[in-house]
Amino acid sequence: MTDANTTYAALEVRELSRTFGARKALDGVDLDLPRGAFLSIFGPNGAGKTTLLKILSTLSSPSKGEARVLGLDVVKEAVELRERVGFISHNPLLYPDLSAEENLTFFAELYCVENPAERVTELLRAVELDHRRLDLVSSFSRGMLQRLSIARALLHDPELIFLDEPYSGLDPHAMDILDELIAKIRHEHTFIMVSHDLQKGLELCSHALILAKGKVVLFADKELIDDDEFAATYRSTVGLGVS
Amino acid sequence: MADTTQGVTSSTVRTRPKMSSWRQFKAILTKDIVMELRTKEMITSMGLYSLLVLVVYYLGLSQAGSGFDIELIAAGLLWLAIIFTSMLGLNRSLVHEKDQGCLDALLLSPIDRPVIFFGKAVGNLIFLLIVEAFVVPLFYFFFLTDAEVAGPVWMLLLSLLVGSIGIAGVGTMLATMSVNTKGKDFILAVLFVPLMFPLLYACVAASSAVFLGDVAFADGWVQAYWSALGLAAGYDAAMLLAAFGLYEFIIGA
Repeated sequence: MTDANTTYAALEVRELSRTFGARKALDGVDLDLPRGAFLSIFGPNGAGKTTLLKILSTLSSPSKGEARVLGLDVVKEAVELRERVGFISHNPLLYPDLSAEENLTFFAELYCVENPAERVTELLRAVELDHRRLDLVSSFSRGMLQRLSIARALLHDPELIFLDEPYSGLDPHAMDILDELIAKIRHEHTFIMVSHDLQKGLELCSHALILAKGKVVLFADKELIDDDEFAATYRSTVGLGVS
Repeated sequence: MADTTQGVTSSTVRTRPKMSSWRQFKAILTKDIVMELRTKEMITSMGLYSLLVLVVYYLGLSQAGSGFDIELIAAGLLWLAIIFTSMLGLNRSLVHEKDQGCLDALLLSPIDRPVIFFGKAVGNLIFLLIVEAFVVPLFYFFFLTDAEVAGPVWMLLLSLLVGSIGIAGVGTMLATMSVNTKGKDFILAVLFVPLMFPLLYACVAASSAVFLGDVAFADGWVQAYWSALGLAAGYDAAMLLAAFGLYEFIIGA
């Protein structure tokens, strides 16, 4: 988005592995994803989904292999990469003792957003929380927290957005708002989402990935996927998660 | 329902702004101060704890008899109270980030890790100095009203400042190391006290020089004061440099 003529891919992952002691959380993962894609990652608990997301978002480092996100190495160019990605988790990553406005202003300052006050107002309006801007986040419902968390992730207008179970615990209204937000920015952003909700994940994605025991079981373009076959493959992996 | 999609992508942020470490540092520091002023969690707990320590000292020493000159050990008592009190607050400063999952949000932002360290350390230093502003007059009231202090107050305040910089710096580094461990309180204490020993030694010596003067430092208390303070300042510089270099590794571990 910073430069429409750039030719880097959204994701280039080669032989990516991550071990925790003797346990292999990721084992030789290879992926290529074009910019503008929506990748949904599925897999049973312990499959390595969150580990993969953490490495790609620079929260964790790989034990072996290489990963480039938006053309940037996740280890060597981590700071530059963080400027260009956003992260929405099921955990809101917000300070309960600050107001909605204070939270967003704080993160806007961390990302050195120009005109932070204007941007914060814009986003609070977008997630329908402008009437609660001065209220402490500790008084917010789960849905409101998630909406504010979405605003936080979008503050710096990231090119790629990581979504870690973003629909988890949301009420229908908050789900609608998240759907609308994603639909609006879908064409100009790349998304990488971890989800247990097969239906929602397949509905949104352009590419789907199933992980089990840290390995890629299936990675394909959505247009080449038969939903029933995909669901059967997914179900067959459940129970293989704990290594 | 309102149009929730307006303003999601903004023309104001399309071009990536230049990152400013100073702006990020100010943001972390301001956030910590605003949160502390709102909750008063650290200052209240440290203030109450230090008051209790002074009361325990007072009760413990009340039976020492009239021949015992408390001024001789006053500096040691004061610094022990400060060290124990600081451990309580330092632990809270990072646990607070961790408990809310906000440490991940900090780590996801495009910020050099030493900036996080300096933001948190300066915040801790301010809170520690606020507590000291309460503890030191109280300490004087409890133990030194009848004593004749040799040096001027500013020399004592300077030694407190130099010592507090080291405590806040090393404490912030160790609190970060221990925040991801199970027995974080225990780990912090076990690492903090031995690492603090050289600083504690220097600060007690500097403060003793101010309290006792030539009574205890026959070769000149002023010279002894500056030597001790130099040692403390050297310790601060070395430890802050180490924290600056290691913080990326420490916070990412």
